[in-house]
Amino acid sequence: MMSTVIETVQLRKNYGNHEAVKGLNLSVPEGSVCAFLGQNGAGKSSTIKMLLGMIHPTSGSGTIFGHRIDRESESLLIRQRVAYVAEDKRLYDYMSVEQIIRFTRSFFPRWNATLEKNLLQRFELPKARKVRQLSKGMRTKLALLLGFCRGCELLILDEPTEGLDPVAIEEVLQIVVSLASEGTTIFFSSHQIAEVEQVADRVLMIDRGLLVLDSTMDQVKEEYRHIQAVFPEPVEERDFRVPGIEKVRTNGRTVSLLASHNIDSIVEHVRMLRAGSIDVLPTSLKEVFLEKVTARSGHASL
Amino acid sequence: MLLYKAWIETRIRFLAGLATTLIVCSYYLYAHSSLVAMWTHMLQDPKGPHFGWMRLAISDYNFYLWHYLYDNYLQQIWCLFAALFAFGGLIREKQDGTSLFSLGLPVSRRRWLYTRLLVALLEGCALAVFSVLVIAIGSAVIHQTYSLSQVLAHTALMVGIGFFAAALGNVFYTLFPSNYVSLILILAVISAPYLLIQTYVQHMRSIGRSTWLSYVDFGYAMAGPWHLTWSTVPWITILVMTVMTAILLRTAAVYGDHIDY
Repeated sequence: MMSTVIETVQLRKNYGNHEAVKGLNLSVPEGSVCAFLGQNGAGKSSTIKMLLGMIHPTSGSGTIFGHRIDRESESLLIRQRVAYVAEDKRLYDYMSVEQIIRFTRSFFPRWNATLEKNLLQRFELPKARKVRQLSKGMRTKLALLLGFCRGCELLILDEPTEGLDPVAIEEVLQIVVSLASEGTTIFFSSHQIAEVEQVADRVLMIDRGLLVLDSTMDQVKEEYRHIQAVFPEPVEERDFRVPGIEKVRTNGRTVSLLASHNIDSIVEHVRMLRAGSIDVLPTSLKEVFLEKVTARSGHASL
Repeated sequence: MLLYKAWIETRIRFLAGLATTLIVCSYYLYAHSSLVAMWTHMLQDPKGPHFGWMRLAISDYNFYLWHYLYDNYLQQIWCLFAALFAFGGLIREKQDGTSLFSLGLPVSRRRWLYTRLLVALLEGCALAVFSVLVIAIGSAVIHQTYSLSQVLAHTALMVGIGFFAAALGNVFYTLFPSNYVSLILILAVISAPYLLIQTYVQHMRSIGRSTWLSYVDFGYAMAGPWHLTWSTVPWITILVMTVMTAILLRTAAVYGDHIDY
């Protein structure tokens, strides 16, 4: 049985009166590539920062590799085994590429020098150039190199591909898959559904500080269905209170349902409501995301 | 590597400190003969200002060095730069956006803080040693002899007690992370002993009265009496300043542990 690398119980974070994270129960199994999805401000970065001891939970608890995240001494043990790449990828701009690699390497005895050499070539990073002279994309590549080469058991990436061109994104995703195949657990937040579908085997969705989906990618693909039905008379949402129905949208005589399980019973229920036509369609992660995550501004950030 | 990082971040300030120390020490060594001539002329003039220290400064070069450098300008410069050396660290990085990278490394917040302060202390020591070198070379150039043991004792006292300024600078920077606000506050707080406490305590001393404020007169404690012996070292003030420095360091560490980045 796979052990759990990250676990949180009722984890909360308040900033003044604003509740950024509201009782989050996470569980990330060892060896998985786990995507952490959510809109801007959903609580992804706050959660990651709490996991790494950068901010303090208001309440609740969490562990990484069995070490408590809210104790400084244990957080130190966590950070010896975890590589983290922050969202904004800001690095010491007064150091050169070579200096910051040497600096970071000194903290990690299992530093992967072969991968470092390989990535320096693949990313075309000039060793002598100061960080302040690098473009945003180059800086992102350097931050990722500094994370990938640590030889850690868990890699936490906050929006890893932001600011990268499509070729670089593909390269980064390949490296992520390669590290995962070597046994590294990957936990990454992203807005990019396509890349999540490409590499993740597990998906967690957070909306306004609450976990709204915790499932494997296979489950999402196999069990989630989009059911469309047309009725002779207009119907109401309350007619569709059946286990397995996640979202209901009615538009006059047409109903659109997102179902997570219990598909046969739901179809039978719709048929009993005298639907004229019923279509059961496979659904994409993007559709699940859009349905699960309530768009605050009217648009999901995809 | 943490020491190396802290050094890279403060080396410009350190070089500025060296340059300022060189200018101030060199100036007062260079001006020695003209100042002595001026005081001699003043003392010969019955209407001129007659300060008690003038005769001593004319006759004793050690007193001259102490009066201008350790009791005044060198001490003030050293204090200012000690506070400036201690500026920065994770709080500064929070503003620059690099704190998440730093905190992602397996280094405790306290280790970040103490490394920073250690570098500030080492730079402060280097600045003080540099001033001794300038005095040694400058005195040879102007053909004056001095007591090296007294200069070293005054330097040690200046650094030992003056580290309070570095601890104070660090606390202000932790509590008020804005560069300008913390800088203005630290300048104000460091100036207070010179402008208010020292003046008041000197006045009380001149009229033969004592005051508890003399225990926190760290400018006086940093300089000590001009001729230092075991019995003239201000031990109580040293103890008070050491305790206050420890409290400041502890405050910065405890407060720093609770900051959200």
